[in-house]
Amino acid sequence: MSTEKQNEFSQLVDPHLSSLYSTALRMTHNQNDAEDLVQDTLFKAFRALDQFQKNTNFRAWVFRILVNTFITAYRKSIKQPQKVSYDDLEEFFLYKRLDETVSLQETSKEEFLENLFDDDVKDALESLPYQFRLVVLLCDVEGFSYNEIANIIDAPLGTVMSRLYRGRKLLQRQLWNYAKKRGYITDDFKTKS
Amino acid sequence: MLKSGDILQMTLKQNHKKYNCADIEKLAQQYLDNQLDENKKKLFNEHLEYCLPCDKKIEFELKLKEIIQKKSSHKEVTDTIKSKLSKIINDLN
Repeated sequence: MSTEKQNEFSQLVDPHLSSLYSTALRMTHNQNDAEDLVQDTLFKAFRALDQFQKNTNFRAWVFRILVNTFITAYRKSIKQPQKVSYDDLEEFFLYKRLDETVSLQETSKEEFLENLFDDDVKDALESLPYQFRLVVLLCDVEGFSYNEIANIIDAPLGTVMSRLYRGRKLLQRQLWNYAKKRGYITDDFKTKS
Repeated sequence: MLKSGDILQMTLKQNHKKYNCADIEKLAQQYLDNQLDENKKKLFNEHLEYCLPCDKKIEFELKLKEIIQKKSSHKEVTDTIKSKLSKIINDLN
């Protein structure tokens, strides 16, 4: 039998279930762990529902619980960020690489993006160190604002922006590598002289 | 102390402020995420109107953002998963 609290919770959380699960999947890399993570998040959110202030941002509130639950559960297995090289991570990295390739002259760069497989994008996202992956997911996929993300991951705005910047550049580098590996950039690819 | 002429000069300078390509590069991320205030956004757009290389780069970045959103969206949230999650919510007490 459903209680009033249950109905209220259900109404609040239902529109965000897909987002929560999808983010959990990108963070944990597998379906079972993602289900567990969302389940734990739902338990915690339900128990803490009294602390949620009505008519405030439920979506950000429940995502904050998801992120905390993820970090608590994976604290031991989350490695410190690997030493990633940011040396060649200039602004417009992917655009500039594509611009340098002769073989792309005939197809547009936008077409190149359209032709990427869903899996390329997902793999590239999942390859990012988790701190970077999280902010890119929250911003680009889930559409949260910088302030909301700062609140969700409990970090200053500057940290959100720098992680987002680095995360996106790493993502672009990864997409560029896939493109080369999978032959989107054809064999006659050469750098403009 | 500022003379009225100085203030006029400053006002003129302010009104004629233009972004260069380096400004665009620096502010690109905030522009893409719609986090610039109206004034900065206006200056940013003004630069894009006359600078084709920057315009093309920004257009590409916007497209990339859209592609990331589209290609990693919630397609894997199947009906089975949806019903599992609904069941969890129904069992809460």
